[in-house]
Amino acid sequence: MKSSVSVCTTPLNGRHDRDSRRNRKVADITNALSVSPVDVAALRRMAISEGGLLTDEIRCQVWPRLLNVPSHVLEQEPVERENNKDYNQVLLDVQRSLRRFPPGMPDEQREGLQEELIDIILRVLKNNPQLHYYQGYHDIVVTFLLVLGERLATALVEKLSTHHLRDFMDPTMDNTKHILNYLMPIIERVNPEVHDFMQQAEVGTIFALSWLITWFGHVLSDFRHVVRLYDFFLACHPLMPIYFAAVIVLYREEEVLECECDMAMVHHLLSQIPQDLPYETLISRAGDLFVQFPPSELAREAATQESTAASTFTDFGLASTQQRPDSVLRRRRRQKQAALESSGAAGPSAVAVAGPSVARRFVRLAVMGLTVALGAAAFAVVNTALEWAPKLDLFP
Amino acid sequence: MATAPYNYSYIFKYIIIGDMGVGKSCLLHQFTEKKFMADCPHTIGVEFGTRIMEVSGQKIKLQIWDTAGQERFRAVTRSYYRGAAGALMVYDITRRSTYNHLSSWLTDARNLTNPNTVIILIGNKADLEAQRDVTYDEAKQFAEENGLLFLEASAKTGENVEDAFLEAAKKIYQNIQDGSLDLNAAESGVQHKPSAPQGGRLTSEPTPQREGCGC
Repeated sequence: MKSSVSVCTTPLNGRHDRDSRRNRKVADITNALSVSPVDVAALRRMAISEGGLLTDEIRCQVWPRLLNVPSHVLEQEPVERENNKDYNQVLLDVQRSLRRFPPGMPDEQREGLQEELIDIILRVLKNNPQLHYYQGYHDIVVTFLLVLGERLATALVEKLSTHHLRDFMDPTMDNTKHILNYLMPIIERVNPEVHDFMQQAEVGTIFALSWLITWFGHVLSDFRHVVRLYDFFLACHPLMPIYFAAVIVLYREEEVLECECDMAMVHHLLSQIPQDLPYETLISRAGDLFVQFPPSELAREAATQESTAASTFTDFGLASTQQRPDSVLRRRRRQKQAALESSGAAGPSAVAVAGPSVARRFVRLAVMGLTVALGAAAFAVVNTALEWAPKLDLFP
Repeated sequence: MATAPYNYSYIFKYIIIGDMGVGKSCLLHQFTEKKFMADCPHTIGVEFGTRIMEVSGQKIKLQIWDTAGQERFRAVTRSYYRGAAGALMVYDITRRSTYNHLSSWLTDARNLTNPNTVIILIGNKADLEAQRDVTYDEAKQFAEENGLLFLEASAKTGENVEDAFLEAAKKIYQNIQDGSLDLNAAESGVQHKPSAPQGGRLTSEPTPQREGCGC
């Protein structure tokens, strides 16, 4: 069994503690699975809490529960590839996805899996003509295939595609961009200095695009980290990946602030994701942030960010459902006005001007009890999902 | 990553555009790392690379934005075109469809960059002669008709890759020398770096979030 739990104080005691915690967790998961009805809330907590679901064997049993997919699904007919509008594109992407397979896997086995990968994608797209393939989708599907095998992966991916990934699969990227708009408000809440620096550099949020739409599958090289994150995301609100993206940026605060305040430099720095991130810590931080600044609180801001850009009608529609007498919007306008007036001279001076307000706005992140926060994050899935986005009616 | 004082005198901003799978990222990788990346995955959004090269006796830093080829990503990649001094427009000599789409890429490039932007057409995968689907002469003629530089190259063997970036840089530098490229223009895609270190942000950078892809 592989373990991703890495911190221990003294080798022997640490290992003992770790093993016993792990054993307890396995027992808890087994319990939650064996009661009738299955204790999905407990499984969510297990998937979020330290170490996640521990092994792929457990994932095979728990992931379907998290998505409310029956674990015994029927084999489906292979999809015809001739005259399939997506086939060429999917083939092209799958052919160059070699890195997503375990190193050392025999070519023949890998090629078999690549064929299955193509079948799963084409099947889901055929069954759901409203969904549109995007490059990066296969990075998600391959993760499910490697953990679950073709049959179960098809069922889960289909469910995921009509829920968590639904916005990414629109004909256009408008809704994807809308979700990216949550990134900066989250960063601003926790660390206004980093936020202002990034705004100053005009870096945008595209560095996080591949993180978001592949659930980090495209950028993390260690498969164990990928599945650990998938445990977390599957148990949480569909917007959790953007909170996790924010947490990564915030974790790299020092590097960011030391970077030349230049769009290209900051983009380059942020898009190179460190491979040795402290995943468990970051996961619990992302959970904390979600509880403190739930999507419903950020929604209006995310929408007003868009208003400085070429706003689309869809985004406007989303925003208008969220609008209330809007002091935040007015405050932001005033700030923008002030920044505009003061930046008349030159770029660098604007940094100095922004200084005092940065200090005032700094909000220290309250440290919440891990279990409480994570339990709440799982709970919040049920409570807030309906509030923010019309498309994400979670799991009927 | 460069720190002041700068060891180059100009920054040129480049973009690489073209259909999926024509080898845009491989060209960039070959240029910056001098290696062929056989299992190069698809690009999501934009990726970025830099290299300093010498052009007509001047050290120039190329700042290269490699864009995703899938049509749906154009909504986010377009904002990176702005302020490009050079554009590599790439097709695959073994896949005619990627050549047929050039006019659409060219329209985007023309509309979103400035009139001085140097566009070079690259027929990639020139090592696959046996599978050639687009002749050299045909592409050469297309390039001439549209005022583009043109080269066939191979990201795999490295053939002409260096030259592709260099030819465009020479042309840009020439435009600076003869005054047709105004360095003070907001979106020239070129920044002059005086030898004295200079802090603060750069003024001729693109600002994607204003165009809708940003935060």
